[in-house]
Amino acid sequence: MVAAHHDQSTQFTAMASPCVVLVDTQDSQLGTEVGEIVKAEALRIEAKFSRYRPSVITHINETAGQAVEVDQETADLIDYATTCYELSDGRFDITSGALRRVWKFDGSRNVPTERQVREALQYVGWHHVLWKRPVLRLRASMEIDFGGIGKEYAVDRALSLAESHTDAPILVNLGGDLRVSGARHDGAPWYVAIENVDQAGTAAGLLELLSGALATSGDAHRFVRGSGARYGHVLNPKTGWPISHAPRSVTVHASTCTEAGLLAKLALLSGAGAEEFLELEEVRAWCIR
Amino acid sequence: MQLKPKLGANSVGVRGALAAAAAGLLAGGHARAQETTAGAPTTTIDSALLTYHEVNRVQAIEPVVNVSQKIDEDGTLYFGVAADSLTGATPLGAVPSTLAQTYVRPYKIVPVGTSTTTVTSASGGSTVVTEPAATGAKTETLAATTVVPPNTYPLDHGFTDMRGAGHLGWEQALTQNLKLDGGMAYSKEHDYRSESAHLGLSQDFNGHNTTLSAALNYESDLSFPIGGTPTPLTEMNGNWKGPDASLHEIDALIGVTQVMSRRWLSTLSYSFSSAHGYQTDPYKIISVVDPVTGQPDEQLYESRPDQRRKQSVFFDNKIHLARDVVSASLRVYKDDWGIKSLTADLRYRWQMGRDYYLEPHLRYYTQGAAYFFHYYLVSDQAIPEYASADTRLAKFNAQTYGAKFGFALNAASEINLRVESYDQQGNGSPAGAIGQLKQQNLFPELKAYTLLLGYTVAF
Repeated sequence: MVAAHHDQSTQFTAMASPCVVLVDTQDSQLGTEVGEIVKAEALRIEAKFSRYRPSVITHINETAGQAVEVDQETADLIDYATTCYELSDGRFDITSGALRRVWKFDGSRNVPTERQVREALQYVGWHHVLWKRPVLRLRASMEIDFGGIGKEYAVDRALSLAESHTDAPILVNLGGDLRVSGARHDGAPWYVAIENVDQAGTAAGLLELLSGALATSGDAHRFVRGSGARYGHVLNPKTGWPISHAPRSVTVHASTCTEAGLLAKLALLSGAGAEEFLELEEVRAWCIR
Repeated sequence: MQLKPKLGANSVGVRGALAAAAAGLLAGGHARAQETTAGAPTTTIDSALLTYHEVNRVQAIEPVVNVSQKIDEDGTLYFGVAADSLTGATPLGAVPSTLAQTYVRPYKIVPVGTSTTTVTSASGGSTVVTEPAATGAKTETLAATTVVPPNTYPLDHGFTDMRGAGHLGWEQALTQNLKLDGGMAYSKEHDYRSESAHLGLSQDFNGHNTTLSAALNYESDLSFPIGGTPTPLTEMNGNWKGPDASLHEIDALIGVTQVMSRRWLSTLSYSFSSAHGYQTDPYKIISVVDPVTGQPDEQLYESRPDQRRKQSVFFDNKIHLARDVVSASLRVYKDDWGIKSLTADLRYRWQMGRDYYLEPHLRYYTQGAAYFFHYYLVSDQAIPEYASADTRLAKFNAQTYGAKFGFALNAASEINLRVESYDQQGNGSPAGAIGQLKQQNLFPELKAYTLLLGYTVAF
């Protein structure tokens, strides 16, 4: 991230990622307030939907096999995930986390066997889930997570809260997924660097952003090595195997971060057809292969 | 769901639909939520058929249906009905003897004269006899006699009962984290009626990770035994007994459920209950034996205190392994009748495949005796105020071994089969047994089997 102007900046860590809030103002007090609002919302969403710490998600997963009633916000996210599942013909699936039991993306040579993948795949598939808002029933041993949508949703929610606090231009960046409230005071764009997937900390490109959101999806830092092949971390929930010929990283521009994140993920899931998909969808996007 | 453009080779683009969905999500969508629930109320139906078989004793068959119906976003109505039919024999409480014994109990009131032709023979050797009516009385009592052969544990044969039960309740979310639950229940059999009402509150804290709950239950029962309510510690006979007797009980429970980690859920609860009223078993007797020979001289109706205060602590843990689930619980119980008990329960849900699981179940139970439990009373000693020979109040151990097999027909329905065996052992040869009682088994082992076929569906 390169900020050419003198912004009020707040930095914190949420969702295991570095986060930045920039407010285009001279008022440091306002900068701090907005930073706190964004941080509180990011941490709230992280705590509520964490996959690791006790949360709504861990509760749902622990009670898999039984019907559980979820709150309004969770239900909204599940409805959204259901739409994404249908639109992607099953390639975006919040139940695909069960595949992580066999795929450990630690850079090792830990490639699971066909049999292990087949077994894990029994617990994957949104069509096995009973969802009658607000009642959710997973099959026993299935699990869900909002990994593909939670962070982007948090960006949109946090920005919307911040916007209701001030008219000053704001940029919210949670671990690389970001959204701006609009152009800067002087009408200038915000500058955003796309991180180089091979060398963390270096830029592969610089984008100008006047409005909307950017989300990046990719396999930076996360992969396993098989016999001669390198498997990326984007798994196809229909086959249980990583998507082949997927771009290393896809960055998409859209009006909301939630939408940008999904488009980036769907492009990645299109494998070799990622660029074609993005072109068809007529979105501004950047693929790194 | 209506057809929507799909991502794929012939994809026409999903961006518009996605943008609309994202906008809906970010708008919060209260209106949309109501629309969805109004159009799609959720119903869950749980049904089961249970059969219970005690070796040489009682058999029962019980169909059960429970329904839960979501009415709106915050309210759920639930109700259920059950019926059971019980036949077989239950222990009388009397000691066995080297001699044949005859027991008599009132059976029916009929107008004078009707009974003269009525001599029936029920299963297990019961015979109906007529108790002589008082002079000038318009009715007389039919009594049933049972002859128990020598060296046989005395059972009350020809015992049949039908029971019907129902409950109705409402659960209402008052806020995101606070829930109120209220309801009532009713059950009736030919000699007992029970009515109860309950109210419960549960409050979630720190993002649904901690739940505190509190509940109160009030129950009012009426007992109208066949043959009337006998006067405790009077001799068993065929005369019609006293009027109906009532029992009132209040139960309170407080509990906390805590998500300990992503794979571990723990519940700790404490319950207290206080009962006041008739708690004696009107059909049970206790033998008064000769101090030298051990032969029963008299059979007295048993007697239990009117007050009973119970307390228990329950600790339950559910641990999710990669696919399987372990449930382990411990219950510690004590009451002011002097009974202390411990229940340890262990289940392992083995997810054998995506659609089916096998769940072995082990339970161990041990209890100490009530202070007024006696195998028998001795005729040269003072009769205590309370005395019962009901082996359910004795010191005993019990083990349950079982397994449940569940099969998911689809995401919304499951069929399951549960088989369990229950073994109870007590001390059949208490120290200091008198005369002929030394050679009798005063605590016959109880063995029972349960078979349950269940079907659950949600739509």
